[in-house]
Parts: sequence; C-alpha cells; structure tokens
Amino acid sequence: MFDDGTPIYRQIADQIKAEIMNGSLEPGGKVMSTNQYAAFYQINPATAQKAFRELVDEGILYKQRGVGMYVADDARDRLAADFRERFFERVLAPLVREARQAGIPLTDIIDYLRAQEGALQ
Amino acid sequence: MTALANLRLPTRRYALGAGFTTEALKFFKYWIAAALVLAFALPFAVAQWNDITISAWYYAANAGKWFTAFVSGGFLFVLVPNMIATGLTRRELAVSMGLFGVLWSLALGAIACAGLLAERASYAAMGWSHGIDANDAIAPIGSAAETAAFGAHYPLLYLVYFAAGALVGAASYRWESAGWLLLVPVLPVVFSLDNALYDTKPVGPGWAGFLGGLIGDWGRGLIIALLLATAAALAAAAYRILIDIPLRAKKA
Amino acid sequence: MSFTVNLRGVSLRYGSEDALADIDLDLEAGKIYGLLGRNGAGKTSLLSLLAAFRKPTAGDVLVGGEPVWENAPIVSRVALIREGGDFDDSDSVKAVIEAGQIRPSFDTEYALKLAERFDLPLKKKVRDLSRGKRSVLAAVTGLAARAELTMFDEVHLGMDAPTRDAFYKELLAEYMDRPHTVILSTHLIDEVANYLEEVVIVDRGRLLRHADIEAFQGMGATLTGPADAVDALGLAALAEQRLGGTKSITVADALDAPTRERAAAAGIEIGPVGLQDLFIHLTDPERKAA
Repeated sequence: MFDDGTPIYRQIADQIKAEIMNGSLEPGGKVMSTNQYAAFYQINPATAQKAFRELVDEGILYKQRGVGMYVADDARDRLAADFRERFFERVLAPLVREARQAGIPLTDIIDYLRAQEGALQ
Repeated sequence: MTALANLRLPTRRYALGAGFTTEALKFFKYWIAAALVLAFALPFAVAQWNDITISAWYYAANAGKWFTAFVSGGFLFVLVPNMIATGLTRRELAVSMGLFGVLWSLALGAIACAGLLAERASYAAMGWSHGIDANDAIAPIGSAAETAAFGAHYPLLYLVYFAAGALVGAASYRWESAGWLLLVPVLPVVFSLDNALYDTKPVGPGWAGFLGGLIGDWGRGLIIALLLATAAALAAAAYRILIDIPLRAKKA
Repeated sequence: MSFTVNLRGVSLRYGSEDALADIDLDLEAGKIYGLLGRNGAGKTSLLSLLAAFRKPTAGDVLVGGEPVWENAPIVSRVALIREGGDFDDSDSVKAVIEAGQIRPSFDTEYALKLAERFDLPLKKKVRDLSRGKRSVLAAVTGLAARAELTMFDEVHLGMDAPTRDAFYKELLAEYMDRPHTVILSTHLIDEVANYLEEVVIVDRGRLLRHADIEAFQGMGATLTGPADAVDALGLAALAEQRLGGTKSITVADALDAPTRERAAAAGIEIGPVGLQDLFIHLTDPERKAA
C-alpha cells in the first residue's frame, strides 16, 4: 500500500490530492474522518491527522468544527498549478537525463510526444 | 477466580482473600471428602480383626497440617506472577494471603474439630476407646468437652503451617534454586512446637520427634503463646520476601 | 485518561550486569509507541519497570505522573502482556479471562467476544493450548484490560500472519474507540510501523533514539551506482555492498537537495531504507556507540 521512502502522511495527502484532481472528490465535498482513514488504511490516526493538517495549511481542505473536513472550492485550481510545476521536475527532468544517457536526440522525443498527442486527439 | 463482577480497588484485597479460600476449598473438595470417608470407614474395617483403641481422625487432622502448608505455599508460588501481572500490588497480595490463611485455618480447623467430636460419638456407640498413641502408652482424649478443647487447637496449628508454607512458597519463587532451603530452619521449629503441644509424636518423619522431647514440659499456655509468635514471625518473614519480589523473566 | 510515562535516571542491575543504565525517557499520554531493540537490549527490562514487575536499582519510574511501584490505583490500570502470558497453566481459558476482573476496568464481555472471534476454546486448560492460541489468549487479556497504559512485549510470537494482522487491527480499533497509551515491543518492525506514532530504540541498556515515526521514515537512503561515483559523494556509510563495479551504500541521514542532484547526475539510484533495515544498521554491534 505505502512505499518506504516517503512518510505515510505525505503519501495520504498526495492520494487525497489525486482524488481531487481526478474528480472522485468534488469541491465542497466531505472527506472521510481521521478515524475512518486510519481504520481503512490500518494506520495510526495521528498519521492521518497530519495529512489533513498539511492539506488544511495548503488551503486544499477546510475544517468545519464538529462536522468534519471538506474540499475547498478552489482546491482543483490550486492543485493544477502545483501539479504543473511539479510535473516538469518529477517527470520531464528524469526523462531528459535518461535520454541523454541513452544517446537519444531531443528532437526524437519531441516527435514522439507530438505523435502521442495526435493519437489522443 | 469466578468472581461475578469486577472488583473495586480499596476492597479488592479482602474480596480476593475470601475468594482464594473458597477456590481452594472447592479445588480440594474431593480430597477433603476422601479424607473424611477414609478416617470414618477405616476403623470399621480394622474392627473386623482388631480392637479399636486410637482415633483415626487424629491422623487425618494431622495430615491436614501438611496439606495446609502445601496449599499455602503452592498457591502463593502461582499467585505471585499471576496477580502482579494482573495489576495487583504486592501489599494487596500479602493482605489477601493473610486473610486466606486465617479463613482457611478456621475452616479446616472447624472440620478437624467437628470430625473429632463426631468420631467420639461413633466410637462411643461402638464401644471403642477414643485415644491417641503417645509413644508407649495410649492416652484417652477424654470427655466431650476435653475432646472439643483438644480439637480447638487445630485452627492455630493450621495457621502456623499455613504461614510456614507461605514463607517457603514465597522464597521458592524469589530464589529459584535456593528458596526451599528455608525448610531447614522452619521445619524443626514448627515440629518442636507442634510436638510439644501434644507431647506426642506427630504425623511426619520420626526423626523430628526427639526435638519435641526437649521442650515437653513447658506448659500449654507458653507453647500456645510461642505458636502464635511463630505464626506471626513466619508471616512477617513471608511478607518481607513478598513486598519487593520481582517477577521472574520469561524463559525464551 | 491515558497515562504518561517518565523515567528519570533509571538503572536496573541484575547482579553485576547492567540491564538498563541511566535512562531518561518521557512518553506522552495517548500515543502508540514502538519499542525496538535487539534481544537483550533492555526492552523487556524497561517494560517490567513500567508495570512494576520489577523495582529499579536507581532512579524514578513515573506512570500517570506518580511513582508506579506498589501504587494500586496506577498498576491496576497498567497492563504488561508478556509473550505466552502470565497464567496458571492448570486454569481453563475461561478462568484466566475471569481472573482479569481483578482490574476494575476489565471488560469481560469484550474478552469473551474476542475469545470467540479468535477461536479460543473456553473450557480447555491453558497448558493444552498451542503456542499460537496461548499468545492470542495473552493478547485478549491485554486488550480487554482496558488499561490506560497497555504494553505488549513480543506477544505476536507464535501467532501466524493472519492472526497477527487481526490482532493489530483489533488493537487499532480499541485504541480509536478509547484513547490510551500503547507500547508495542517487537522485532517485526515493518509489520507494525504504520500503527506507530513514535519509536523508541534501546540498545545495550541505553536509549538510542526516540522520535516520530516520520523522522525514521525520512531518515536514511540507499545509493546504488558506479563505485567511483558513489565514493565521490563522500557520504558516511552505515553499510556498503559491492558487486563488480557497482557499489551500494546505506546512509543514516536524509540527503540534502544538492547531494540528490549530484547523485542523480552521476547516474546513482537513490532508494529508501525500510525501518527494519535502518534499525539493523543503527543497532549493529560492529558500529561504534552513537
């Protein structure tokens, strides 16, 4: 379920973010409680709470006292900007590095990406 | 323990002490019943060939002393790890054990005394003499009142044996290989006083009998006082061993 | 009301041997702690002091802010469950469960429910139980104690994997139902890591580390790549392995961004270190005491 490298709370935060991005969590929608998360993933509730706190700090979730956690209305916009930024660092930087090691010219990669994009349209 | 509800803190030591007593009596009920039947049936069997002159119950009641020491030592040995691991303090355990000792000695002492009286009645009905083998001669126990007075010593004797058993049980738990050595000083003292009280040979190894002879004529009052003091000293020693006893490490 | 734990200059000596030496430790109330250490490192000794199974040779052991030794209101709400349990083997399973009622907080109904769930034969004598069932019985008495400080010392030994899993699950459910302080002492670190909030490592009778689980999870990395490139980074390795021209090292600290970049540029692969491996390296007897 979780990998070893990153703290679990960060992995949970990332997962909630992904759920917001792919639409399974709607803006304004209610998120599972700390205990529900803990029971579902079999983790310490404090770990789930840490994930929520981080998301609240980032403005992705907001807390309604005594009721629960909700997805912020502008969560998707915030995440999209963030995602774009990290996309280059996370996906493209290693790609360029590996291509260079393998001796693949950049133009080949660009051509390939264009073709893929065409196929999707 | 088959308590029906959870115990409460300030009084649980007393509830436990009473509980140990009923548990122990229940646990050994068949043994006690067997001793009763045997002690009453045996004379009738022996009567087929021989005249009955001595009390059979006297031997059963004396065996009860050993039984008592075994019960208290065995119980305490098992109870120390169980009770402390279940969140009891050593002081609470000591108080429960003390209450257990008093109740057990009274209960078993009452059985012993009642048995002697019942036996006296049955012997009288059969025309047998109700006596005790006092080394060379047979001493009759006497009237009903004298028999009752004789039997009334049993609770005290059981208490002494109970305290001795508890001391050896606690020591055996605390000092795994050497604790039982406490038997060496404890046995002669208890034997001598026990012997001295009856001025007769007790049930037990004959070699200890000579010790009784040394203090044979100190007088009953003094011996009883010494028995009480011995019970107190043994209980105090057991308490001292128990009060900071560490639980043994589990063997892997 | 869960219990805090405070140890102040605590030592425990068996004869001339130091089981624990000068331990200072503070645990907050209501968290799940993992207690890790090699065999003989002092885990069981530490837990024995917290449950007043033993008296420290020196120092103060406070539970719930009070000295725990001979303190009935405290020890009646502290449960230390040792591997195999502390039972009278001639008792039946049912009698063992009912003996728990010595604790004012013991939940007999819950214990019987768990016994049924884990297939414990109530009428069977303890001595006739398998090792696995015996461990389960111990775990059941620990959970049903509903204590404010509950400690399980290697209780999982003898349980098979599905049973361990069910036990951890129940432990978590009980914890969420009723917040209390829990200490799990174990060798199977990766198996319980997700349940823990903080980790305490003891080594050779001393406290080695005490930190949030995240601190341990962020700690350490393995770097694998061309031997020259790995050496060129100049990192202090906890352990290293070589296969031909490839070298793999394990480091204890988190890597900073420049090091990560340099490593990536040199074709070195960076991987995480599991808690279990990190623990093995940290408590390696070959390693100089930290």
